[in-house]
Amino acid sequence: MTEKEKRILKRRLKFLLIHVAIVVAAAVCVYPLLRIFSVSLRPGDKLFSTDLSIIPPNATFKAYSDLLKHTLFLRWMWNSLVITLATSVIGVSLASTAAYAFSRFRFPGKKAGLILLLSSQMIPAGMLILPLFLMIMKLRLMNTYLGMIIAYSVSSLPFSIWILKGYYDTIPRSLEEAALVDGTSQVGAFWRIILPLSTPALSIAFLFNFTTAWNEYLVARVVLFSSQQYTWTLGLFELQGQYITQWGMFAAGSMLVTIPVLAVFLYSSKWLISGLTLGSVKG
Amino acid sequence: MASVEFKGIVKRFKDNTVLNGVDVDIKDHEFVVIVGPSGCGKTTLLRMLAGLEEVTDGEILIDALRVNELHPSKRQIAMVFQDYALYPHMTVEENMSFALRLKRTGRSEIEARVQEAAGILQLQKLLKRMPKQLSGGQRQRVAIGRAIVRNPKVFLFDEPLSNLDAKLREEMRVEIAKLYQRLNATIIYVTHDQVEAMTLAGRIVVMNKGIVQQVGSPIEVYRKPANLFVAGFIGSPTMNFFSGQLRSEGDRLLFVNENMKLPIPSFLLHDGDRHAGREVVVGVRPDDVLVGRDGAECSGKMEAVLEVCELLGHRENLYLKLGGLRLLATVEAFFDRSPGSAVTLCFNYRNMHVFDAATERRISE
Amino acid sequence: MDILRSVYQVAGFIVLISLGVAVLEGYFYYHFKYYARSWFFPAALTVFPLLALAGYYGVTWEHPLRVWAYFVAAEALVCAAFRNIVKGRNTLPYLLLAPAFVGLALLLVYPFMFEVYLSFHDLKLTTIMMWKNTGHIPFVGLRQYWNVFTTSPLSEVSFWALVGRTLVWTFSNVFFHVLGGFALALLLNNSIRFKGVYRTLLVIPWAMPQVVAVLAMRGEFHATNGFVNIVLGRIAAAFPFLAHLGVGPVQWLSDYPLLTCTIINVWLGIPFMMVVILGGLQSISSSYYDAADIDGASYFQKLRYITVPLIRPVLMPALTLGTVWTFNNINVIYLVTGQAGGTEQADILVSALYKAAFTYNRYSYSAAFAIVVFAMLFFISVFYLHGFDAAKDER
Repeated sequence: MTEKEKRILKRRLKFLLIHVAIVVAAAVCVYPLLRIFSVSLRPGDKLFSTDLSIIPPNATFKAYSDLLKHTLFLRWMWNSLVITLATSVIGVSLASTAAYAFSRFRFPGKKAGLILLLSSQMIPAGMLILPLFLMIMKLRLMNTYLGMIIAYSVSSLPFSIWILKGYYDTIPRSLEEAALVDGTSQVGAFWRIILPLSTPALSIAFLFNFTTAWNEYLVARVVLFSSQQYTWTLGLFELQGQYITQWGMFAAGSMLVTIPVLAVFLYSSKWLISGLTLGSVKG
Repeated sequence: MASVEFKGIVKRFKDNTVLNGVDVDIKDHEFVVIVGPSGCGKTTLLRMLAGLEEVTDGEILIDALRVNELHPSKRQIAMVFQDYALYPHMTVEENMSFALRLKRTGRSEIEARVQEAAGILQLQKLLKRMPKQLSGGQRQRVAIGRAIVRNPKVFLFDEPLSNLDAKLREEMRVEIAKLYQRLNATIIYVTHDQVEAMTLAGRIVVMNKGIVQQVGSPIEVYRKPANLFVAGFIGSPTMNFFSGQLRSEGDRLLFVNENMKLPIPSFLLHDGDRHAGREVVVGVRPDDVLVGRDGAECSGKMEAVLEVCELLGHRENLYLKLGGLRLLATVEAFFDRSPGSAVTLCFNYRNMHVFDAATERRISE
Repeated sequence: MDILRSVYQVAGFIVLISLGVAVLEGYFYYHFKYYARSWFFPAALTVFPLLALAGYYGVTWEHPLRVWAYFVAAEALVCAAFRNIVKGRNTLPYLLLAPAFVGLALLLVYPFMFEVYLSFHDLKLTTIMMWKNTGHIPFVGLRQYWNVFTTSPLSEVSFWALVGRTLVWTFSNVFFHVLGGFALALLLNNSIRFKGVYRTLLVIPWAMPQVVAVLAMRGEFHATNGFVNIVLGRIAAAFPFLAHLGVGPVQWLSDYPLLTCTIINVWLGIPFMMVVILGGLQSISSSYYDAADIDGASYFQKLRYITVPLIRPVLMPALTLGTVWTFNNINVIYLVTGQAGGTEQADILVSALYKAAFTYNRYSYSAAFAIVVFAMLFFISVFYLHGFDAAKDER
């Protein structure tokens, strides 16, 4: 074997090993999802089996049809969607302007504000539930969409502001100055130049708001009490609480809530890398 | 078109004074280049005129109207930015028409003005492209086009050529010169490159450390630099400076230091006796260092050693050592001597500059 | 019909919130404009609190004098701030910030302050009715804080054991997140085929709704039906000598709950780190590696002297955030062990806090507890941020 052939062989081997390693890692990442899928397809009497195949024998969509027919699952999804969308729209709009102020202006209290945002990340989970619960009760918004939206609306705000500020910082100021000379106001420059250019960062902020609200259950648990108003997380808990027959439906429900989020997430993943690193580098 | 006046402009950022009393008058149709090293405040001055920077003290007048507090878009100026600042999410056409659309100009007029500007700058084929699909020179032209479309009273250029490579820069320089002739507009152009200043300007404003050092035509600034800074900054390669003392010997005035003894002719300094004993700096441009030549206008001959030759093509830079001093001479190619050999040199009398060492002001004619 | 109604509702919410923002902006705008006029202070002090009180009445049907007094005091404070601090400058940035920060103040700072208030009092199941009826709870000073350090929120584990467990949990998780994320990012940063597909598959644990992901993983650790035990059982059956060495199904959830939680959380957290580190790696210019190749550096030397220092600025903030998130991570532990009176063997500080408040109803105690946890997290992050600043200076 010549020196050249050896080198080529070594290179091939290296790439083969890389592929093998990544495929193993990918399998570990994907397998639990496939297992849920597999369980959701199982016929009712085979739910607890030690079978490892992805498509089980006698696969059936009965769990899905049961889920849609006999539970309020669609209603739960809808509730989640309404709450989540409203929250995300509000959260992203508030964050986009606040981040602009942080990125472009100098004013007293700027540093204090940024520190407040940072330290809000350190509030332990569960700490604010009780006061929020009392507040929502006082406002007589228990068991309503609006109560949930209010409770969720600022939860992702600090992180969104942080990401957007990082992104705005990378947009040259001369663009706004050119717009000022062209005849916009400062707010006009923000609206016509900065916002359209920040679509990637805005989508990431939206994604974060969306997933946080979509997956939340600690607050939902204390605010919502009728199953008509449940979000999907609470609904799935209800299914999971009551043994055997519901396990298939639980898996089916999990698949149904996962697919849309997964789709959105993967679609935006190309922006995810740039947006996240920019935000953190400049942060 | 319009005149621009800066009256006692001061700019401070907290304790840091960037501009300290700038007074400049710019007449109608004038092409004024503000030149200076980075950090001299030239860009700040331009941005204040554009309304992008607040004026700490003083007044800015456009057509005798005070504009200090006016919004940038109301000042009837257009600005070409160093990084062009083309809106990345708009096509060339949208970029150029943005200001007009903001003013709700009629569609047909927008169309006509964009077409006209595109015609001037040969951009017709690029109108539908996005900025990132353009080359550096094309972007530059779009940025200028965006300014032209607005039909402003004053054009402001902020180091517009500094992001281009050398060849393109020369081409664009010529284009801007042509454009000036065609538009016949008032143009204020900021650069750190003195070649651009010399070639483009009707008048040059030389600035350093927030102060205007000299205002004058390129020839004036080149031939009669007002102080040491201007003398060193304008002209390439840089002027040679020698410090020493003036002495009077008989009826002659001599410049003396450890390595040289030069007679200073009376047409350079009248009343020689009055200057005797003064510490001065003498400046000679490399072009006026005559090597191995005789001439009537030549000062006293000196012996120097050739250290390095640089061939530029039709000219050649000679790095010489005269006693403990180093100096640069630029001569016709080809100077056929090897490094280390001795050469005789003298200075061209007419173009010697004498500055006071303490005040750094020019004292020669 | 239902859907249509919901759409109206959402539109209504957004209109409502926009209205709120508009009112807020108007409120501040007039302060900016007229704060210096002599008539403004008395006018503001009468008009705004009355409007606020009307709003309050509209929502709660209550109009106690106390609330009105609060509104007047708040308005006086705002006016004073405008006169002495803001002075009408920086109008635009403050107006831009106002909605977000008023939202944060109402829904984050106020609840936080309320918890501080609670932590000095004694609100628990036995005093809550009294509080509801009379609005009064016993003041106990620092006793709740004393209780935090001397007693335990749970029945079997002491506070200090919880602290230790939380630190172990946090640092082992973050360590494996970075290790795994770094390894995968290095693998992905080669010019290989199917790179996009691989990246997509590798971020799935992060992309899945956490509730689903955790419950699915929990299922895989089930004693008889989980993937892990099935595989272990089959290995033991196929290679009897391994079974003799102790390989076989394990009662993951009841015997090793914390280990199980850690494995699950590592699985969940690696993709985030991978994405961040991959971004960092892609921003490193290849000329550094070329230079190192010419200098004869080995693969690991390049890793040590080029890659690691150059991704530090990207890594440090992610590390800070990752640490805080892990420290604060209640999802995994609660979902794996917390429901229906599960084990306490996996509880960390935040999950114990949640139990103290909502299982044992010790509200004031949990408030003091939360503030202690907050302080700990704060110090950890300050420590990290110092590290980040040092990294900044090095560049």
